[in-house]
Amino acid sequence: MKLKRGKLLVDPPGSASSDIAFILIIFFLVCASVQPEDGQDQRLPRAEPQADERKQSKNLEVSITANSIVLNGAPLDEASFPARLAEELAERKREEERVVVLKSAPKTPYTRWIAVSQVIDQAGGLLTLEVAEEKSIQVR
Amino acid sequence: MIIQRRQLTATIPTFAMGDIGFLLLIFFVILARVQNDSHIQWVPAQVEEVEPAAAARASVAIDSGMKIYLDGRETSADSLAGQLETILGDAPEGSRRVHLKVHKDTPAERFEPVIEAISEAGGDLTHILETKESER
Repeated sequence: MKLKRGKLLVDPPGSASSDIAFILIIFFLVCASVQPEDGQDQRLPRAEPQADERKQSKNLEVSITANSIVLNGAPLDEASFPARLAEELAERKREEERVVVLKSAPKTPYTRWIAVSQVIDQAGGLLTLEVAEEKSIQVR
Repeated sequence: MIIQRRQLTATIPTFAMGDIGFLLLIFFVILARVQNDSHIQWVPAQVEEVEPAAAARASVAIDSGMKIYLDGRETSADSLAGQLETILGDAPEGSRRVHLKVHKDTPAERFEPVIEAISEAGGDLTHILETKESER
């Protein structure tokens, strides 16, 4: 007669599972917190309260709104703007001639602004902002 | 006859010291590296090309509610230049980097004064952006 050998039930040790879970949480936290960020560097001239108007008139001027681009008074479409800007900048060899003044309508969204500024950077222009100053005048 | 009581020696278990030290190390790494503006709600603008951004001395953000933050604390555009000058101090060029995180729909009237303030403080500006996902 054969006697069946009793099978031993082997339980995996569960005492360390909470420690393992804790270390996994910390691991994922570290991964999330050190996630590298991507971006775009932008060289801007130091802000001055009053710009030299004579110099400014020689600079290229780009005016943007939410759905239009105007280069030196000439309205352009989105597709032709990079080529037209590169063409204008190609004639300007000196650094101070490559200044591009960017004027934005107050409601221009950031997404549009950054796309236009990237085109200016890629074309080799030196981006300068013209920000409208708010003045309050008391009227009697 | 007097039976002497056995003296019990109390020893501190040092078995887990390595684990404790390791956990403390990780804890301080998180504290040091965690971004203090992670609570700000914003969606980055998407562009064609981005580069890995270098570490910054300060981080300026504009959230979806158009509020301005400097290193996670709410501030105003008027006081930003002064606060940034304090943070940047006399740091040499190249280590005056300021990250700018602007919610994608923020209007120019809100973000331009912030850019102006960073420029006024002499900060090296880096826009934090996302790569545009190609349409399939």
